[in-house]
Amino acid sequence: MTARARGAARAGRVMLMPALTALLVLAAWPALWVLWLSLQRRIPVFGIERFVGPSHYVFLAGDPRFWNALEVTLVFTFVSVALEFLLGLAVALALQGQRRGRRLAVALLLLPWALPSVVTGRTFEWLYHPSAGLLNYVLGGQAINWLGEPALALPALIVADVWRTMPFVALLCYARCLTIPVEIYEAARVDGAGALATVRDVTLPLLRRVLLIALLFRTLDALRAFDLMFVLTGGGPANTTETLTVYAYRSLFQTLQLGFGAAIGVVVGALVMLVAWAYLRAMANEEATA
Amino acid sequence: MSPSFPNVPAAQYFVVRLRRAALLVVVAALAAGCAGGPAESGPVTLVFKHAKILGPSDPVPGLLREFEKRHPGVRVQAESLSWNSDDQHQFFVINLEGRGAAFDVMMLDVVWVAEFARAGWLLDLSPWVSRAELAPHFPSTIEPATWNGRVWAMPWLMNVGVLYYRTDLLAKYRLAPPRTWEALVDQVVRVRGAERDPKLDGVVWQGRQYEGLTVNALEAIWANGARVFGADGAVFPEEERAAGGLSFLRALIVSGVSPSWVTAADEELSRRHFGDGRAIFLRNWPYAMALFQAAGSPVRGRVGIAPLPGRVGGAASAASSGGAHLGVNRRTRHPALAAELVRFMAGADAQKAMSVGGALNPTRMALYRDPDVVRVHPDFPVVHDLMLKARPRPVTPAYLMLSTTLQPEFSAALVGVKRPRQAIEHARLRLSYLLEGLR
Repeated sequence: MTARARGAARAGRVMLMPALTALLVLAAWPALWVLWLSLQRRIPVFGIERFVGPSHYVFLAGDPRFWNALEVTLVFTFVSVALEFLLGLAVALALQGQRRGRRLAVALLLLPWALPSVVTGRTFEWLYHPSAGLLNYVLGGQAINWLGEPALALPALIVADVWRTMPFVALLCYARCLTIPVEIYEAARVDGAGALATVRDVTLPLLRRVLLIALLFRTLDALRAFDLMFVLTGGGPANTTETLTVYAYRSLFQTLQLGFGAAIGVVVGALVMLVAWAYLRAMANEEATA
Repeated sequence: MSPSFPNVPAAQYFVVRLRRAALLVVVAALAAGCAGGPAESGPVTLVFKHAKILGPSDPVPGLLREFEKRHPGVRVQAESLSWNSDDQHQFFVINLEGRGAAFDVMMLDVVWVAEFARAGWLLDLSPWVSRAELAPHFPSTIEPATWNGRVWAMPWLMNVGVLYYRTDLLAKYRLAPPRTWEALVDQVVRVRGAERDPKLDGVVWQGRQYEGLTVNALEAIWANGARVFGADGAVFPEEERAAGGLSFLRALIVSGVSPSWVTAADEELSRRHFGDGRAIFLRNWPYAMALFQAAGSPVRGRVGIAPLPGRVGGAASAASSGGAHLGVNRRTRHPALAAELVRFMAGADAQKAMSVGGALNPTRMALYRDPDVVRVHPDFPVVHDLMLKARPRPVTPAYLMLSTTLQPEFSAALVGVKRPRQAIEHARLRLSYLLEGLR
């Protein structure tokens, strides 16, 4: 390496310093602090503060409430992201094929995404209202207990989540669709591809990368799902909608078991990192083969 | 949402917001005026943090001006928090644990008093408030205020679980308000059988997994003669009877005496259903009466209020109390003045103004027979008797831990995921483990 190149490398490191420092202070430091907190039993109300090592993690390993929350989180994430993915893609393709009223359609599509989640929660609270709700009225005056029946509460929350975030997937895909040159479709037509074949062999492969990014965002969000459960069911009935973040909130902020709550937070963080890593690997493969 | 400060319709809330905005303008103008004056011996400012006072009007600003008039050189700044009890708790915890002294006097949900006292966040009011000064308040408000033998707070607003019933329907079948839950079930079967109205439900209550469920389930458990803590600190010493209380609630749902959706109901959901004329009985707090009797209410003039029923062979009526206390931040720079403000706001004159001007229930027993108050609230003499017999939820610094541990177990018993015996057993194991860790 020449002296000049070495100088440039050093200058590059110096210029990276501010960004690295910011990352360290804003991301690494709090993460490490939470990790440290999770190794302590700290309950300020009772003046308890002592190092307990990994005992919170040992307790969680045998805690049925934790395993239940993990299962709820995973089911919620998998089902809602899968539905958002399929519906979002379908909506994007439909938009692409639409000739008139596209702007209106996009504006309408944005609405659920733009609403604050607490407003969404309240809206669905009324839709699901057992005696005066629109849903039961439309079903012919049924008294279905959407949010109070163990088998229905989680699906009801998933529907609300899909309604709210499907537009995100749809808009990302739609934006990518707009950048696909018309010539490619013309070439496909000339080659005699039908509508279905065009979607399968032209549109979908070109959408792959943007779909992966949309999936990454949605999966990470869903793993941390909190607001809908908090507003609509409070985690009930019988904890059938209690996600890991709701459990962490109850332990941290409601009952002030700071060390224990931090341990749940660390588990959520690890889960999110694991999934993010898997996605990033998939994306790297994508680039390598592209 | 805490049962102590029930959710109130948005229109009223909006009116309160408007008033508060107007108040803010006035406060800002006052502050500007002060800034212009001599800054050297600036007046003492007390900050009073309280939940939004919901209802037709907010008497708090007027009372604070009165306090200022009596204490020249003192200014009281009222700052309101959201009406959501979880948010308030979080605000106080973060600021008190962070050792902030940005406020002097605070409005506390009754179930937090022991917790905050144990944490060392509350000023011991014993030097200023004697036991005798607490005596005119309802007994169930005094127990939380005097946790561990010291005075930590003064009772301010009170709540109690009550049974609402449809006077027209009961009169039609010559029935008196039921004294036991067993009698209530019989009455529901009889009235619904004769009315043949599929849209008329029996009794509605709060079974959603939140604080309201803890209250409803505790009332059922108490009515069946069981306690949460025995004298020696044992959890659910009468295990069989505690499970029996939950079994009864489950039976209400299974038999259709209560609609199945009570497992998702909070105060407002159940209150509206009854208010639409679609249930014979409702368990709720006293705030609902004013809404049932409001102009345009479908049940106006057809609602009565009675004690919560007891159980055959169990205890007599066992209603839970709720409400708010006033406490002082231990880091206040003006302890004597802050204690004085608490005594003033909890005093007879201020509580009278709160109940006449607002729709709030005082904690002073004599006010329930005060002619001026009874003129505005004709049902107060009845409510008085109910409050007198009310029981506080367990007074312990670990109350929130207790309640959030019980909620999923109670909920599981109500929806049939666990047998009541199993739910009580699981709750007991978990609670014993948690409480052990606090020693």
